[in-house]
Amino acid sequence: MNRTRSVSVVAIAGLMASLAAPAMAGDTITVASWGGTYQEAQTKAFFKPTADALGITIKEDTTNGLDDVRLQVTGNAVKWDITELGADECARGSKEGLFEKLDYGIIDKSGINPKLVHDDWVGISYTSVVLIYRTDVFGDKGPKTWADFWNVEKFPGRRALSGSQATETLSVAALAEGIPIDKVYPVDIDGALKSVDKIRGHVDAWWTSGAQAMQLVKDGEVDMASIWNGRAGTLKKEGAPVSFSFDQGVLTADCMVIPKGAKNKEAAMKALAMFVSPQLQANLPLYVDNGPVNEKAFETGKIPQDRIKDINSAPENVKKQVLQDAEFWRDNLVEATEKFNNLIQQ
Amino acid sequence: MRAQPALMQETARADQSLNAHALRADARRESLRLLALLAPSLFLVFAIIIVPIGWLFWLSLFDEAGALSAANYARFFEQASYIKTFVTTFKVAFIVTGACVLLGYPLAYMLSQLPRRAASICLIFVILPFWTSVLVRTYAWLVILQRKGLINSWLIDLGIISQPLSLANNLSGVVIGMTHILLPFLVLPLYASMKTIDTDCLRAGMNLGAGPAATFRQIFFPLSLPGLASGVVIVFVLCLGFFVTPALMGGGKVIMWAMRMEQTTSLYSNWGAGAALGVVLLVVTLALLGLFQWLLGARATGVWSSR
Amino acid sequence: MSIAPSALPISMRRIEKRFGSVPVLRDLNLDVEAGEFLTLLGPSGSGKTTLLMVLAGFVRANAGSIRVGDDEIITTPPHKRNIGMVFQTYALFPHMNVFHNIAFPLKQRGVAATETAERVEKALDLVKLQGLGERRVDQLSGGQRQRVALARAIVFEPRIVLMDEPLSALDKGLREHMQIELRALHRRLGMTTVYVTHDQREAITMSDRIAVMNGGRIEQLDKPETLYATPQTRFVAGFIGESNFIPVECRNGSVWYEDRRIHTAAPTPASGQHLMVVRPEKLRLLAANAEQPNGVNVLDATLSDIIYQGDSFVCYAVLRDGRQLTLRDYCRSDVLARMPAPGQPVSLGLDAQDTILVAAE
Repeated sequence: MNRTRSVSVVAIAGLMASLAAPAMAGDTITVASWGGTYQEAQTKAFFKPTADALGITIKEDTTNGLDDVRLQVTGNAVKWDITELGADECARGSKEGLFEKLDYGIIDKSGINPKLVHDDWVGISYTSVVLIYRTDVFGDKGPKTWADFWNVEKFPGRRALSGSQATETLSVAALAEGIPIDKVYPVDIDGALKSVDKIRGHVDAWWTSGAQAMQLVKDGEVDMASIWNGRAGTLKKEGAPVSFSFDQGVLTADCMVIPKGAKNKEAAMKALAMFVSPQLQANLPLYVDNGPVNEKAFETGKIPQDRIKDINSAPENVKKQVLQDAEFWRDNLVEATEKFNNLIQQ
Repeated sequence: MRAQPALMQETARADQSLNAHALRADARRESLRLLALLAPSLFLVFAIIIVPIGWLFWLSLFDEAGALSAANYARFFEQASYIKTFVTTFKVAFIVTGACVLLGYPLAYMLSQLPRRAASICLIFVILPFWTSVLVRTYAWLVILQRKGLINSWLIDLGIISQPLSLANNLSGVVIGMTHILLPFLVLPLYASMKTIDTDCLRAGMNLGAGPAATFRQIFFPLSLPGLASGVVIVFVLCLGFFVTPALMGGGKVIMWAMRMEQTTSLYSNWGAGAALGVVLLVVTLALLGLFQWLLGARATGVWSSR
Repeated sequence: MSIAPSALPISMRRIEKRFGSVPVLRDLNLDVEAGEFLTLLGPSGSGKTTLLMVLAGFVRANAGSIRVGDDEIITTPPHKRNIGMVFQTYALFPHMNVFHNIAFPLKQRGVAATETAERVEKALDLVKLQGLGERRVDQLSGGQRQRVALARAIVFEPRIVLMDEPLSALDKGLREHMQIELRALHRRLGMTTVYVTHDQREAITMSDRIAVMNGGRIEQLDKPETLYATPQTRFVAGFIGESNFIPVECRNGSVWYEDRRIHTAAPTPASGQHLMVVRPEKLRLLAANAEQPNGVNVLDATLSDIIYQGDSFVCYAVLRDGRQLTLRDYCRSDVLARMPAPGQPVSLGLDAQDTILVAAE
């Protein structure tokens, strides 16, 4: 690491005359994301093209989320220049002052839902929570809405919901009460908890990770579940007898931030601008099921037409879904999660 | 008199005994040197146990804003879920420890009675699971126990049951998984202590008129208690801090203390919230260990008072 | 407390025991009289401990019969044999105090609490451990543990008491003291006792009779003095007391060592190679060239070394054929006065009554 830095110092010293030049060739930034196939897709879609275009080196790391950022910032040991977080984490971290301000002179925010454009954080991609059911149990007459999922008489069977993501399950619970998708936020937490209370006796597993949700459905441990669209897509590709749609899905955005005190802030800003640009955003769905956050990506022509309908953030699909409100959860997450935990625990 | 050695003159002043002062000083020097030898390990204990625990405790006293507060502890009483988690944790720990004793005692007994070679082969099978990660073993149990898993398919194929049993994603799954993983921690100390029981003591028992059952009850069992106690303590304490198995096998319904710590730490933007949970678990565990020592330790090592 | 009335004889017939294919006891017959103190003496591996284990019921014999009085007990489980046993390691129960250790056999027999207390008290008196009932076992000295083990083995008035090298863990002084005490206790209680040891001195000191065991068989069963005076095999002669062996030949009813006729008190075998057993203390240093009375065998030798041991001395002498003989005598002034110096020729005398012949192997 020191070696790399000294190399870049030498490089910069050699280019003393062009210190103010926009391109900082030879610079190195570190980007942290969630790892796994998602990060591999990001490498191909975002990191590699950006590094090539800017002539910088992008090193990668993985994160566990806001706690890691907080630890680095409060400990004055910031090793990342850009890191990915969940949108609610971004909202919380913003309130705690953990991030650098973003320069929207460099970053072009057009095409990104304004709810995901903030002073110090910006959306990067979407995941959806969708309803999946096994076709070997229900044929094509499975539960289509969350109200169906809650209807244990009409749809007997074993159920799984997310236990670790209270925000998602509470959103789903509000939908199950028949609240229209544009009225879900701000969530009536007590109402949503009452809704959870109705179903919890029929929930056989509260999953805590995407892999677990997938395993529960795949092995037939449950007949229907809430699940992330990426996992649902994988199941389908693997040929599991399952069906899902984006109807009444819950869209959750991921965001990117520059941690406060990042060492290569300016290069990071330029890289981030590249990441959210329509051209690179359009790369993402070619590798992974997480949808691009910039809707202009769909106008680039890079994404095949028959693929668009399967992307959760395609304009057609966005209309069917609820977008989680990061700032609402910033203010209500703790209380709602504690109450939710209390409810689902036996 | 002038030629008398310096040592003797000095001690003559200090007190009446010859060289007593010098010998005392020598003894002091020796204990200092011994202490110096201990210093590295004392430092290590201090640095990797005392300091972090102290820090944990210190952190737990501050709220989100960094102000001194009891909020992290007050939460346990305000939120019913913490009490529930606490009860669940101890319930699981008791059940798993009990299951380990029921399975492990006969196993250790059998091992202790086998000829040396057979016993060491069997011991390898006891230790073998240690070589696989807890995660892998837990997933293996999931495959075996779930609704369409091995056990349910067999039982249904054999016509013994018509509806699959709920073995995974609930308390029974957690108990089965944890018992399997923790069993060696009970068997090994128990086996070791059973091996040290003098066979002559058992023969003496029979010789003096106690049948096999009475000899077991009055001699073998009491003599195996120290090993059983250490096994039980190890298993129980490990249970209290268990994470992976309940997280995977509990179906999200069986929340144990370590899982709650993880939840709390990520939920609150404040290390103190998680630290407080750690402190509470530590204090309760220490209290329980004290109680255990008092109950079992005295019985296992002490005298049976006369009638 | 007296055990004598219930003392019973033991009769073992054709006991066989093999561990795998290794025979440990071979067609063994042994009778122990009621109230007798009988010692099984032998080197390790001779089968003495196995025989004791068979008797106690811890080891199942392959064949044979054991009768105690009129009862066949070969298939009786150990806890129903009513035989007391003192173990080499004492085998006291470490989790019980002295009182409970001794009360253990009474408890198994359902003896009432008050009677138990009385009997334990008496047993403690008997082994001189009054007032130590509340002590923990690990607070006792080796000798005290030994006494507790003894008290525990006799408190329930067993028909038979077995002892497996009970004194081997004690130091020499204590061991000799306990030998005398055990003997006295046996005299007082009169229980049939089978005692195992590899220490021939201990066996001789304590026993009414000694069974010398070798290779899973009893070589000789006799009173200690008989055993010492007339060993019947080379093994017994070698194992009990010190012996010099001199090869002799029997021809026509007389015994010859080289060209010298050997006088014996006992009838001699007609022919064959034999060994003359010479005990060191039976040899005498003869005055040089002195006329010897009839019935004394004289051996010519050269003195090689003398070792003084305070009360006695040991001489090492070498016969003409190079064989070494040991002679022991007390340091009386008359003997010392005519003590030859090493290197001088000496004549060694052995009375005919002390001349023992055993078969050469």
